[in-house]
Amino acid sequence: MGPLITQGIISPEWNPMIAFIVGIGFGFALEQAGFSSSRKMIGIFYGYDMIVVRVFLTAVLTSAIGLLFFNYLGWVDYDLLYVNPTFIWSAIIGGLFVGLGIIMSGFCPGTSFSALSIGKIDAMAFVGGIALGVFFYAETFELIFEKLYKAGNWGNVRIYETLGISPGLFIFLFIIFGIGLFWFTIYVRKKFSNRDLKY
Amino acid sequence: MNTAPIKKRYYFISALVIMLGFLLLFLPFRKNVNQLSPENLLLSITNNDRFYTTDEVAKLIILGDPSIQLIDVRTPEEFEKYSLQGAINIPLANILDEDEEGYLEWEGYLNQDIKTNIFYSNGSVYANQTWMLLKRLNFPNNYVMKGGLNKWVETIMRPEKPVSSAEDDLWTRYEFRKGASIYFGGGSVLSSDNTQGNKKKAPIKKKKKKAGVDGGC
Repeated sequence: MGPLITQGIISPEWNPMIAFIVGIGFGFALEQAGFSSSRKMIGIFYGYDMIVVRVFLTAVLTSAIGLLFFNYLGWVDYDLLYVNPTFIWSAIIGGLFVGLGIIMSGFCPGTSFSALSIGKIDAMAFVGGIALGVFFYAETFELIFEKLYKAGNWGNVRIYETLGISPGLFIFLFIIFGIGLFWFTIYVRKKFSNRDLKY
Repeated sequence: MNTAPIKKRYYFISALVIMLGFLLLFLPFRKNVNQLSPENLLLSITNNDRFYTTDEVAKLIILGDPSIQLIDVRTPEEFEKYSLQGAINIPLANILDEDEEGYLEWEGYLNQDIKTNIFYSNGSVYANQTWMLLKRLNFPNNYVMKGGLNKWVETIMRPEKPVSSAEDDLWTRYEFRKGASIYFGGGSVLSSDNTQGNKKKAPIKKKKKKAGVDGGC
């Protein structure tokens, strides 16, 4: 049956509309969870607030489990789901830069927009920076980045295929890992939250 | 900041998630192949919706209908020798070729909802096979020119004069074919030389598959 658009149950013209609605929902959720506060975001790195990890873990686990059950019930065709191709080197290096950016600014790209929309000035600077970065990247792509961008193409791989195990087993291991991390964050928070942090 | 007590529901949620994961461990993973079921395939094979007659194709070409795309599924050598006006060549043997990214190389042509693809080969067999492969992949808008080039030559390039007592319809059709024959430059009705096809070929540009939607936080 699903994915609904790929299977033609919802026509592709709805794509931007659905993205718009989901985007509003996403922004609302980010704002509700307090992610537009850079102090909250940055809390992960200092260990005093782990809500970000917990929210994202919950989201990832929920969708992973949901998708597998949907697949079992025949509601979603796994092969039709879009998987971002893995370019291993650009993923690693780009990931490091994004991490650095998050530590420096206290925003991840999504949360910067939700912070922008409630009028935070540092978020405006951040979004401006994104725009500049995008412009610089696009303009110098062929000159500097193209080689890196295309290096180490693994194609549309799924992690359980790479590891050679079944999706069920992988999800099970991932759940154990996730739950472990979840409780670890509670432990870390207890440990650090009483300390005097200057921020 | 105070340390909040660990909420009871965290225990509950953790237990629930682990249980679900445990269940998933034993559920079989359904490998859906996005193909037409044999019953539906049979249904499509037995009804003749997929066919365009040579007359219809000739008319579409003459009218310059921009919504059709003729696709020659014969070998490049055969295509080089003779092909229909505006046709592109995708040999049957290459129809499922993949590019370096693992996408079907010709998917831009074969899996789209803008143009009407009409396949032809010498007879109907290869074109039908192509059609069937693509039907199983659930690609839309693919059709077959019934009878292929043999029929094309027989009906359009060298139309047979109906007997004088024939119905009006047959005569009208004959008149059309005679005109078409001249249009396609296969010589006049009298000429039997039909190897001089119209050699105008459309340049083949591979279309890029639509990029997927990127996500991120």
